[in-house]
Amino acid sequence: MLPVRSHSRRVLASLRVRMASRASSAMLSRAGRIRSKLQSSLEASVLDIEDVSHQHAGHAAVVESGAAETHFNVKIVSSKFEGKSLVSRHRLVYDALADELRSGLHALSIVAKTPQEVAPK
Amino acid sequence: MATRTVGLSSSPLRSLTSSSSHPPPTRITPTLSFASRLKPALALPLLSATPRRSARPRSPRVSAALKNLSETVPVSVPADSGELVRRFPSASGVYAVHDGEGGLQFVGISRNIAASIAGHRRSVPELCCSVKVGVVDEPDRAALTQAWKSWMEEHMTATGKVPPGNESGNTTWIRQPPKKKPDLRLTPGRHMQLTVPLEELIDQLVKENKVVAFIKGSRSAPMCGFSQRVIGILESEGVDYESVDVLDEEYNCGLRETLKKYTNWPTFPQVFVDGELVGGCDILSSMFEKGELSSLFKK
Repeated sequence: MLPVRSHSRRVLASLRVRMASRASSAMLSRAGRIRSKLQSSLEASVLDIEDVSHQHAGHAAVVESGAAETHFNVKIVSSKFEGKSLVSRHRLVYDALADELRSGLHALSIVAKTPQEVAPK
Repeated sequence: MATRTVGLSSSPLRSLTSSSSHPPPTRITPTLSFASRLKPALALPLLSATPRRSARPRSPRVSAALKNLSETVPVSVPADSGELVRRFPSASGVYAVHDGEGGLQFVGISRNIAASIAGHRRSVPELCCSVKVGVVDEPDRAALTQAWKSWMEEHMTATGKVPPGNESGNTTWIRQPPKKKPDLRLTPGRHMQLTVPLEELIDQLVKENKVVAFIKGSRSAPMCGFSQRVIGILESEGVDYESVDVLDEEYNCGLRETLKKYTNWPTFPQVFVDGELVGGCDILSSMFEKGELSSLFKK
């Protein structure tokens, strides 16, 4: 597995809070599962995951499903995106997270770039 | 064009007295178009008898009284918008639009007279043949309203009539937001047996229409922030698009699940151009910011 260069401090903080609040739960949070799934399938060199579910707390679909972690901002840099359209890049992300989308993950805001696109010019 | 229109309340007319047998209407709404780039209150000389061809006069002058409506000479409205802007001042004031027979159609006030006339010319060219213009010095709202009132009073005293465009309920001269289309429905109703599978209906819909947005909620009231942003982008591109509400359980029952499979795309909104999925909110936003959308819609 490639090293993850940049972590979002906010995510780590929010993860820590969640871990603490669910100390008894052995299961990884959704944010954690998203991270490991994207990491392994896309070999991301940068992977920022931000849980923004709180911004959608009143959202009807969210209330219905009862899921707590529903909305995420995801920024991925991966060489697997090279030569691919935005639609295909997003599909790669959605495919990797198909199980999550079936189990209450409601929306992803995706920024998908290639290493070249984020390289300083 | 960067003007917005504000409807005045009935107050300007309350003190209007008409000698005619017609009672003054209860409500007359002139338009107040405020230019986005408000110019300093340049005192401009009133329009002269000759059409204004040269650049607008820049020399400030001590406030001159507004001419009467009858004393003001009409200036013909050219078809060419560049010429129109040269011919009319971009200043604040009152203006009176006349039709081909010289009949007064509408008296309005504006923060950018040339821009307002250009707008009217675009929406009702047949009614905009010539315009009388009175630039108002130190054009605060009260001064503009006063100028409008004096021209209206003069016209009503002379003819006993309110200009048709100023009559209550006439919206010809007020900038209207574009009429919103209804959302498309895929089925005739939940309880009707479909003769064609939903996939095929989706397929037909996206191939027969240039731009289709599948959104949560209606286009006039999107129920999700991402759908709202997509609608905002399509509206600001000025593109003619169709919308389908995927939350409409009565007329689009089962659409969400079927569409997800059809596109292999798990979230909404989804925007199609020429039968192809362009993407959701992220992709639309990113293309919009890069200016890639207009060429996509034009093709």
